[in-house]
Amino acid sequence: MNKNRKTLVTLIAATTLIVTTLSGCSGGKSVGNIAGEANGGTANSGSNSEQVTITHYTIDSEDRTFIEKLIPEFEKEHPNIKVKVEKAPYEQFDSKLQTLIAGGKSPDVTSHYGYGGFAEYYNKDMLFDMTDLIKEEGFKSSDYNIPDDLMKIYTVKDRTYGIPVNMYVTLMLYNKDMFDAAQLSYPPSDYEDKNWTFAAMVEEAKKMTVVSDNIAKTQYGVDFTWAERDMRPLYFGAEPYSEDTWTNGGVPSETHFDSPEVIAAYQKLFDLIFKDKVSPNSEWSKSVAGQNGDPFVAGKIGMSIGGSWNLAGANDFPFKIGVAAVPWGGNDQVRSTLYVDPLLILKDSKHPKEAFEWIKYLLTTDVQEKSIELSGGNPPVNTEAAEVYYKHFEGIDPADVKKVYEGAIKYGYESYNHLITNYSQINDMFINEMQPVETGHKTLEEVMPVIQKKVTEIIKR
Amino acid sequence: MSVNLRESRRQTFYMYMFISPWIIGFLAFALYPILSSLYFSFTDYDIIHPPRFIGLANYTEMFHNDLFWKSVTVTLRYTFISVPVQLLLALGFALLLHQTIPLRGFFRTAMYFPSMVSGVAMSLLWYWIFNPQIGLFNYILSWFGIQGPAWLMNPDTALYALIIMTFWTAGSGMILFLAGLQSVPASLIEAANLDGAGRFRIFLNITLPIISPVLLFQLIMGLIDSFQVFTQAFVMTQGGPNYSTWFYVYNLYTSAFKEYRAGYSSALAWVLLVVVMLFTAIIMKLSKRYVHYEGGGHK
Amino acid sequence: MSILKATSSRPSVSRPRPKVEPVKVFSFITLVVTTFLMLLPLFFMVSTSLKSKREMLKFPPTFLPESWQWSNYKDIFDTLQFGTMYMNSLIIAGLSVFGTLLSSALVAYGFARYRGKGNQFWFILLLSTMMLPYPAIMIPQFVLFSKMNWIDTFLPLVVPAFFGSAYNIFLLRQFFTTLPDELFDAGRIDGCGELRMWRTIALPLSGPALATVAIFAFIYSWNDLLTPVLYLSSSEKFTLPVGMASLTSSRFRIPPWHLLMVASVLAMVPIVTLFAVAQKQFVEGIVLTGIK
Repeated sequence: MNKNRKTLVTLIAATTLIVTTLSGCSGGKSVGNIAGEANGGTANSGSNSEQVTITHYTIDSEDRTFIEKLIPEFEKEHPNIKVKVEKAPYEQFDSKLQTLIAGGKSPDVTSHYGYGGFAEYYNKDMLFDMTDLIKEEGFKSSDYNIPDDLMKIYTVKDRTYGIPVNMYVTLMLYNKDMFDAAQLSYPPSDYEDKNWTFAAMVEEAKKMTVVSDNIAKTQYGVDFTWAERDMRPLYFGAEPYSEDTWTNGGVPSETHFDSPEVIAAYQKLFDLIFKDKVSPNSEWSKSVAGQNGDPFVAGKIGMSIGGSWNLAGANDFPFKIGVAAVPWGGNDQVRSTLYVDPLLILKDSKHPKEAFEWIKYLLTTDVQEKSIELSGGNPPVNTEAAEVYYKHFEGIDPADVKKVYEGAIKYGYESYNHLITNYSQINDMFINEMQPVETGHKTLEEVMPVIQKKVTEIIKR
Repeated sequence: MSVNLRESRRQTFYMYMFISPWIIGFLAFALYPILSSLYFSFTDYDIIHPPRFIGLANYTEMFHNDLFWKSVTVTLRYTFISVPVQLLLALGFALLLHQTIPLRGFFRTAMYFPSMVSGVAMSLLWYWIFNPQIGLFNYILSWFGIQGPAWLMNPDTALYALIIMTFWTAGSGMILFLAGLQSVPASLIEAANLDGAGRFRIFLNITLPIISPVLLFQLIMGLIDSFQVFTQAFVMTQGGPNYSTWFYVYNLYTSAFKEYRAGYSSALAWVLLVVVMLFTAIIMKLSKRYVHYEGGGHK
Repeated sequence: MSILKATSSRPSVSRPRPKVEPVKVFSFITLVVTTFLMLLPLFFMVSTSLKSKREMLKFPPTFLPESWQWSNYKDIFDTLQFGTMYMNSLIIAGLSVFGTLLSSALVAYGFARYRGKGNQFWFILLLSTMMLPYPAIMIPQFVLFSKMNWIDTFLPLVVPAFFGSAYNIFLLRQFFTTLPDELFDAGRIDGCGELRMWRTIALPLSGPALATVAIFAFIYSWNDLLTPVLYLSSSEKFTLPVGMASLTSSRFRIPPWHLLMVASVLAMVPIVTLFAVAQKQFVEGIVLTGIK
């Protein structure tokens, strides 16, 4: 503090000096001397008390910054640790994180809230290996009610790099008003209901779709935005990435985006738009939904398959909604994408032990329960706290939410965006290359070989 | 002889006195970042690990990179359309509002208004205006029986939508021209009027030469800024659809912060600097013949 | 040589034209039409700022609010630390404008009035600092300010302005070069020091240009998002754009667009005020008379 004031004073003095010299019209001083001084005068600020400050870096939005409210309690319990929350808007999350690291101001705790996911951080060697700390501290995931399957997501080659804290899943939201108007019965919330298939969903959707010249009247039966674009074939049982991807830290040795199975899977999805005509094209969706929205929110979609975050705004929707299982699409194991967010310790953290203490605190059942309300409905991984989450939504039966969540976990697979290296580039490429198919200007047969080639290039980087 | 020498020393001395605040600021705040980025451009630098020197590899790579070339074409097209049109609009508005006309203050404020609004709010408004279904733009086109395109969602039109948006910020340029027009002596215009010169001749022979330094400024700054166009692509289109708004600096930004390739990204920055510098030098050279400087201590 | 003097001329007096000119009628109509287009965004902004959260979700959107939610203008203070952010932004922008005006006017004068050795070199260097895009220097600049211990202070946002902004230096240089040499020669004969000539001749004659710089510098600082996001970490130091960005930052919630618009409307107040004051400079601009 003192030092930086000194620098400032020097700089201002330099300017003043020049101004006075000029007004006096007298001889000049050497400019170089002053500049030299201005450049010097930097030092580190060393504090040597025993207290340790850790930084938690997160998104500057109310569903993330609520952790600030948990700090006083934590600091009371851990008088030697102070927690500081550093934040950035979503769009600047990655660039600020990288700049902080490059500037030697690396945060201690964070999560993959930006464009890139866990695998990106892992492969860039940004993460602290928690395995030894976990052993040392005798951390058991069962004490925190974290299912073992979820713990495994962020374990690579038996080393643990992240501990799950929140979990969104894929689910179906449906517009009860539209179902009522078409005199249809509501879709089931039970994943074991064998009649609830993709084809059955399309049939229901047809009965709700109205395509009219009057834009206020147009509505579609279903909007199937299951996972990110590259993951969608998995829903129909086609696997675009080779098996080793899931064990080696997200570097596929092979990809199969031009294989007949993958193309056929995508075809089924585009048939919803172009053949069955029960789904909107991207242009319509965007114009109805605006910048970041979802046309479901505008009440123009009967069934929307998407992330469970869509539930968060439910209380403001001007129509009644329900939750249902994602129908069966041909893959016996996978029907839902999981979006499990871990807490990570960054490699450059100077206090990993204290950081881990804070992470553990955030995971306790008590804090996880409190966080649901404070965050406005973040779903916890803690299965006990999850019971509170299921009751969070007005007008939706908690039993349905629970069934849908538990089914999603049983038939769930972690989202590729967390698991594959260089994912933000893959995703950008997909969005741009797929666009002509989404508007009907190109066929999958034309586009997929290009995508295959580009994915290969990106993964090699 | 010695008088000339003394005069030139005097000029040099005072010049440095006056510009020294900037030189100090440059040395203190700009020099290190600039040299760092130059150094990074010759390295393989992923931000996490220390940079590793790789010579010219970053520079040679870009010439084989499709997205680099795409970004160059997109940016050039954007620049060559938006800069001249914006200049003309700004000059037009300024001339209209330089006259004594009722409600002049209101008109000036209104024209400048879109330049005052911050980025996020403005981009949301543009989303509505360009909305193919309910947007105002296509509604107005429909008066003339034109079925408007999907604008931001169509690869053929997205870039033009972004260009059209820039016309709304012509107010900034207008202010500059208005400021420039204040130095046109009213007496000169009156004298010309008395001589029976037409409006167009007065504009061409009196007004234009006097505001030419401002015109030059706007041309050069317009060029520098539009070569660096980024925010609209970042906030509104994310470079899409189908790379149609993949601007040069957007490409540079993604290289650094999505691809973790700060070295390559720095190389892109330096290529841009050299190119813009060339354009600026050409304009400066050409302008010597046309731009009219009253003073400047040319003795 | 002719007599030189600077007078303040009133255009309305110097051009008395009682009759209605067709050119002016045409101008007026053109202005009405373009103004209408220019004000559309304002209309959308204000109208949206008065809608309820639920009405925001409607499609097709309503033109005017169904029920006018004036309470939105209170809610913004509960959602964000709006008052604090507003003050922070005012302080930063105010200091930036002051610093930019003072330093840029000095430096521009140096570039414009003196043909010293190295003028061209420094000027080209000045221009080139604008040609490197910000993302390219973001990291090293952060490293620099972090070594100076300036992180989480207003200093990185304010201090550089006191050393001139390249854009505004270039702008003012263009204006200072249009001032006739004779004025300064006369000043020199009267025994004025160089800084006095700057203050008593160059500055008063450049009112419109200085007003322009003030407006530009204010808006630049007022709407700047990237630098404060990078350099500020304590919430109580956040600026308005940072707060506004936080409203739309969640990927898992429907953004409160209506509140964003409230913030945008309120954020415009100082700019409009400044503009209204500054644009008077353009009406009563000081015009040179009697040259040659």
